[in-house]
Amino acid sequence: MKRYMRIALAGVGLGAFGGGMWLLPWAGEGGHGPSFFITGGIFLLVFAAISLRWMHETAAALMGAVAVWLVHYIGGTFFPALHIVGFEESMAFVDWNVIFLVLGMMIFMAMFSESGVFRWLAFRAFRLGRGNAWLLGLILVLLTGITSSFLNNVTAILLLVPLTIQIAETVGVHPFAYVIPEVLASNIGGAATLIGDPPSTLVGSHLGLGFFEYAVEVAPVVGLCLFVLLGMSAWLYRHDLAAARGRLSPTLVAQLEAGAHMTDAPLLRKAGVVGAVTLLLFFIGELFDLPPSVVALSGATALIVWVRPDMHRMLREVDWTTLFFFIGLFVLVDGLEQAGIVQTIAQTIGHLAGNNLTAATILMVWVAGGVSAAVDNIPFTIAALPIADLLSNSIHSAQTGQALYWALIYGADFGGNGTYIGGAANIVAVGLLAQAGYRLSFTRFLRDGAPVTVATLLVATLWLLVRY
Amino acid sequence: MGKILCAIRGGPDSRPTQEQAIALAKERGDELIFLYVADVSFLDRTAAPLVVDVESELELMGWFQLAMAREQAMAEGVEAKIMVRHGHLRTELVAAARQVGATLILLGRPLEETAVFDQESLQALVAHLQAATGAEVRAL
Repeated sequence: MKRYMRIALAGVGLGAFGGGMWLLPWAGEGGHGPSFFITGGIFLLVFAAISLRWMHETAAALMGAVAVWLVHYIGGTFFPALHIVGFEESMAFVDWNVIFLVLGMMIFMAMFSESGVFRWLAFRAFRLGRGNAWLLGLILVLLTGITSSFLNNVTAILLLVPLTIQIAETVGVHPFAYVIPEVLASNIGGAATLIGDPPSTLVGSHLGLGFFEYAVEVAPVVGLCLFVLLGMSAWLYRHDLAAARGRLSPTLVAQLEAGAHMTDAPLLRKAGVVGAVTLLLFFIGELFDLPPSVVALSGATALIVWVRPDMHRMLREVDWTTLFFFIGLFVLVDGLEQAGIVQTIAQTIGHLAGNNLTAATILMVWVAGGVSAAVDNIPFTIAALPIADLLSNSIHSAQTGQALYWALIYGADFGGNGTYIGGAANIVAVGLLAQAGYRLSFTRFLRDGAPVTVATLLVATLWLLVRY
Repeated sequence: MGKILCAIRGGPDSRPTQEQAIALAKERGDELIFLYVADVSFLDRTAAPLVVDVESELELMGWFQLAMAREQAMAEGVEAKIMVRHGHLRTELVAAARQVGATLILLGRPLEETAVFDQESLQALVAHLQAATGAEVRAL
C-alpha cells in the first residue's frame, strides 16, 4: 500500500511537472525545436528514475548527462537542430565551488566523525535529560538542528539516529517521537548555513555569497522554524512522551554508555582546532574573497597534514557518488538551459506572477516546497536556479534583493519534510528505524511531516514578505 | 543439548519472537543465541555523502537490541548468548547457523505493516535455510 502511495505521489508530482513542461511551448512564444522536447524528456526520465528509485541517483544523473552529450554529438552530426550542449560548455556550467566545497567537507567530516564525538554528544544529551522524556526530546531536536547546520543532513542523521533509537528504548518512548522531529530538524537546520544542505550550498555558491552573509539572512528564520517545530512536536507526541517509564534499566544504560565513548580523543582535539579555524575562515573569508570551497579544502588539507591518515583509505571514504551526482545534474540542467526550457518556464512563471515580486516569491516558496516534498530537492534546485536568475532580471523589484533565491532555499529545504521521500535524510532515517524493527510508513511520516512543513513554509513566506 | 539461533531486529514485533525463543530454550534446555544482522543495503540507492561508518553505527545499535533480548531472557532465568553479523540476512543467517552449529533456527513471522518479508518470501527463506544448514527452521 505504502509503495503504491509513494509511486502515486511521485507520479502526480512528476506528471504535474512534466505536463506543465510539455504545455509550455504552447503557453510561451512557440518555435521550440526537437532539442527542447528531447532534453525535457531526458530530464523527466532522470527525475522519475531518482524519485521512484528505479536506480541509484548517481547512475540516473550520469545517464542523463551522457544522453544529452550523445544526442548533441551523434544526433547533431546528422540533424543540426539536435545540438544541445557540448562537453566543454557543460564543464564550464558545473559549479566547481559546490563540488569542492562538498568534497572538502566530506574529508573533514569523515575524520571528525571517527573520533566518536557525535555519539558522545548524544549520550551527554541523554545524561543532561536525566530520563525526562520531554527534556530529552528538546535536547535531541536542538542537537540535530545545530549539527545539521554544519554537517550534511544525511551525515547528521546517520550519526545521531541510531543512538536516539537506543535512548528512546531506554526511556520507554516510541522512537518515532524522537526520530521524526530529529529528521524534520535536520532539514530545517540544514538551511541555516552554506554547508548544511545541498540546496543551500547550491544557491549560496550560485550567488557567490560568503558564509556570514548567508547565515545572517537565513539563520534567524531557521531558528524561528526550529522553535515552531519544538512546539508542534511537543503537541504531536504528547501521548508518547507522557508514556515514558520512570525507571531506567541499568543494563540498557550501561549498554548505551558502552557505545558512546570517544574513540580517538587526540584526533578530536586536532579536528576541533582545525574545525574552529576553518569556521572562523568561513566567516572572515569574505574579506579576502575566499570561495567557501577553498576554505573547506584548506581545513581538510590542514587536518590531513596534521593527522596523517592513510590517504588511500581517506580517499576511499569520500563519497564520490555524491560528487558525480552533482556533476551529472549540472550537465543535464545546462542542457535544459541551452534547449530553451529554463527560459520558457521562467517566462511562464513570470506571466503567472504578473511580474510582481510578492506573487513570484510566494509562488517560488510554495512550488519549491510542493515539488521538494514529492521529489528530490537537489535536481529541482539546480534546475530552478537559472529560472530564479531570469525572473530576478525580468521583475524589476527583484533585482535589488535576492528574495527569489531565499524563497527557493526555504521551499527546497523545508519542503523536504513533507513526505519521507522528500529528502535523503528522511529515507535514511526510515532505513535506520527499520533496522531497529520500527517500520515508519509513508502515511505515518506524512501525518507529522506535512503540518510542520506547512507551518515552516508559512513562517518563511511571512518573513520574506515582511523583509522584501 | 541443542542450540537455538533466534534472529531479531528489535522493536515491538520482535518481542513475541524473543519470548517464544526463550520459552523454547527453557522447555528444551537448549542453548539460546540471539542474532542481529546489520544490513546497510537500504543506503544503496542514495547519493548522499556517506562519510560515516554506518556498519559500526548499526553494529552498536544491534548490540543494544541484543542486550534488551538478553535482559528479557535473564528475567526468565535463561542465559542467552548474543552475536552481530554484517551483510544480508539470508547469507548471514546461514553463516551464523553454521558457525554456532544451530539445531533450530527461529524467525519472526511478519506482521502486515512491519514485515521485512511477505509470507511467500519467508517460506522461501525457511526452505533455503533448511537446505543450507540442515537445521530445523521455524517461523514463529
